[in-house]
Amino acid sequence: MTEATWSRSGGSECIRLAGVPAGADVRVFPGTVFPGTVFPGTVFPGTGGWPPMAGRLDQDGPDWCFVPRFAFLDGTSYTVMVEGTPAAVLVRARPERPAVTEVTGIRPTAAEVPVNLLRLYVWFSAPMSEGYAAGQVRIARDDGSSVPGALLPSEHELWDGSRRRLTVLLDPARIKRGLPGHQQAGYPLRSGQPFRLVVGDGFRDAQGLPLRSPAERRYEVGGEERRHVDPAAWALAVPPAGTREPLRVTFGRPLDHGLLGRCLQVRGPGLAPVDGTARTGPGERSWSLAPNRAWAAAVHHLVVDPVLEDLAGNSVSRVFDRDLTRPADQPRPARPVTIAFSPA
Amino acid sequence: MGEFGLSRGRVALRSAGPIAFGPAGILFVADNAAATVFAVDVADPGPAGAAGPFDLADVDARVGSFLGCEPGDISIKDMAVHPLSHNVYLSVQRGQGDAAQPVLVRISPVGGSVEDVALDDVPFAATVIGDAPAEDDDRLDTTLPLGDEGEEIQFATIKIRLVRQPIRTATVTDMAYADGTLLIAGLSNEEFSSKLRRVPFPFSAGISGSSLEIFHVSHGAWETAAPIRAFVPYDGGASILASYTCTPVVHFPLADLRDGAKAVGRTVAELGAVNQPLDMVSFVQDGEEYLLVANSAHGLVKIACRDIDRQSPLTEPQQPVGVPRETKDLQGIRRLANFGDSYVLALQADDAGRQQLRSLKTASL
Repeated sequence: MTEATWSRSGGSECIRLAGVPAGADVRVFPGTVFPGTVFPGTVFPGTGGWPPMAGRLDQDGPDWCFVPRFAFLDGTSYTVMVEGTPAAVLVRARPERPAVTEVTGIRPTAAEVPVNLLRLYVWFSAPMSEGYAAGQVRIARDDGSSVPGALLPSEHELWDGSRRRLTVLLDPARIKRGLPGHQQAGYPLRSGQPFRLVVGDGFRDAQGLPLRSPAERRYEVGGEERRHVDPAAWALAVPPAGTREPLRVTFGRPLDHGLLGRCLQVRGPGLAPVDGTARTGPGERSWSLAPNRAWAAAVHHLVVDPVLEDLAGNSVSRVFDRDLTRPADQPRPARPVTIAFSPA
Repeated sequence: MGEFGLSRGRVALRSAGPIAFGPAGILFVADNAAATVFAVDVADPGPAGAAGPFDLADVDARVGSFLGCEPGDISIKDMAVHPLSHNVYLSVQRGQGDAAQPVLVRISPVGGSVEDVALDDVPFAATVIGDAPAEDDDRLDTTLPLGDEGEEIQFATIKIRLVRQPIRTATVTDMAYADGTLLIAGLSNEEFSSKLRRVPFPFSAGISGSSLEIFHVSHGAWETAAPIRAFVPYDGGASILASYTCTPVVHFPLADLRDGAKAVGRTVAELGAVNQPLDMVSFVQDGEEYLLVANSAHGLVKIACRDIDRQSPLTEPQQPVGVPRETKDLQGIRRLANFGDSYVLALQADDAGRQQLRSLKTASL
């Protein structure tokens, strides 16, 4: 009679086997089979030519220890086969923990987005597991029904390095003019018809736990936005010299939350970067920088990276899809744009 | 392997992404979590020989069985075939979240045996993906790790461990090696652009290659850029056919990819609405070169390279097809790779999501 228990051997987790004769053929398979039954068919992997779990069998006193090459996974059952017969099943229980992870923000925060909205971001309170975005993030109408085919179906989920920020793209084939996706299915959104970005609580965090609750953000939908982002049209509220009051920049339309985090810089006399606390304003319509040290009474420059985009993917240097007949759509130089200002 | 600048050591993969074979059986492995591409001598056990037909059912379950997990805990990220032995290499993520583990798996076309590819003490080289966070992007997301990763920070008398990760990331979606250059297509998690990165191989310290944006024109009316999802060099590496996330299939000569130059590809076909290109491969049939495109919503699409060369850019908004193509009744194919001269190997999923390897005879395609 084989007895199998979770154990440790040589510092590694293992399945300890008692009552197994020396030289017996011992194999471990993921999956559940009731001990004592014989498997004539090919349903069970062990009899269907499937490889057993990689690992080694160490002798430890009178026992044998199966030490896996790849760690046992929580939530998985393991069947020990001795001489081709299931001898024991061990279940690797998933630790019981309360769900604590939640959505901490959905961007943009603008109340209204253009009908050709390209991108949203979802922030989570803790690192997440990959593989759930397609099933748990959706565009919904006010009646709760989903808008099918609105989001880019991608096997490549776009996370930041710590897997706390997910980038969600609407299907560009339905936003770009002239493509079959747009011609046949139209924009994923409809002007004048509100929608919600919904994150289901089935989204798993890195611990494998669901979210504490689902989350959503509702948006009104406006018209098309197909203009360059134009820093020359921004309004600057210039702070007085000698103070640490923030420089305030107002854009005139919402810009991309992610890119705003890195595309704006202030340089002072001698082009030295002005360090301070940068904040994106409500609705991603403005940005401010409160310097660590008081403003000098000298010419400063706001430096704008030309990759900075609005909500529809139009950037400083190019529009999202350029109408070749429109001179205004001509690409602009892909170099930083600078706006001079002088605290006085 | 000295000629390729490889050094022996541990390939510390953090994630498993696209894979592609380079010269001398070196496998390029994209690690998106680490923003790195590794070139690994996989010490393929061979033997070299002609590839015969090879089909393997339930490949995800077999790999899962070997790795000790249910098929649902296996995510096959990419597939490559060793050019001489035709051993099948799969880039696999085992488990999810903090338990996720990247593994390279090798499947023998003789008998279908499964083994993991040793990465602990092997010749390898690495290069940072150039679209990784820029030097002037100091945004880091700081989290508290459960284990001992990250750095220890002391606040007064309290020591805590913090992990700082970049917010901006680049995700490699496809790679190919052609004539001394590794070509890398990727998606940014912020800006929307179509960068194709070229990295000379052997990798050189401090040289992460150059990238340029390849525009394409829709129906002669709209010029646009989008991330390249899949691409394949053909015509001996002189030409590239790329499929974009917004589904146009675009041709451009490799010679057009000059640093700093604006490249505009020629749209030769479109793959249709609510559809995504997944993978591409070129093969020879009766002395002619053809391309196969795997799609999320359609069967395999076959295109003759000579038709691509003849095809003028799509100009009419209503023009539905562009280059002549044949759609094969082969659904659910996610990855393609050359399998000797006579076969293309397909990784195919059925309606229930179970995955199989299936060799397609090129003479019958």
